[in-house]
Amino acid sequence: MKKVVVLMRKAPYGSVYTAEGFRSVMGIAIFEMDVVLVFVDDGVYALAKDQNPEKLDMQPLGEGFPMLPEFGVKGFYVHQPSLETRGLSVDDLVIDVELLDDASLAELLANRGTVLPF
Amino acid sequence: MLYMVNKSPLMTHNLETCLTVAPKGAPILLYEDGVYGAMEGTRFSGRLQAALEHHPVYALEADLETRGIQRVIEGVQVIDYDGFVGLVEEHDVAPWL
Repeated sequence: MKKVVVLMRKAPYGSVYTAEGFRSVMGIAIFEMDVVLVFVDDGVYALAKDQNPEKLDMQPLGEGFPMLPEFGVKGFYVHQPSLETRGLSVDDLVIDVELLDDASLAELLANRGTVLPF
Repeated sequence: MLYMVNKSPLMTHNLETCLTVAPKGAPILLYEDGVYGAMEGTRFSGRLQAALEHHPVYALEADLETRGIQRVIEGVQVIDYDGFVGLVEEHDVAPWL
């Protein structure tokens, strides 16, 4: 069975990438494939607490992530340098995550082999 | 002119070049992902704080709330859609897309 990484590198509301990545990871997990989510660069903003897109008439994207383990998503990883660069800590995020440094991020991608970018 | 930036300063150089080009006194409006430039504590915050000495900087409230940005750099003026329209009426616009 393929081991898949869904790699999120874009900020949530400025493009469709985060929403489409979310849909994709749900679809992959429902088919019982081994999938984890990795957040790098502006992708880490997708997990920020207190998102409220009511005035833009959009759906909040952050609050959907904590329910993904129920659908079979096996892990949430965040690139720590990306988080720190943005003045954020794990306390600012909607879910518990495992932090990765540069080397462990590269190792995770290499070990899993299939990377879907969003 | 009103300089308008809608991309994250940590993923593009749009805000950086805008601040380099905009003459002293020119207002800067951050909207959409541009509002990440108004956030306190990021790698870009120092650059924006320095720019505040030369420019009025505005950030659109709806875009801040959407992204959960609560720590806004002191001196950045948070405006609503009416404020946005007022700025666009008052100035010619340089969209820095």
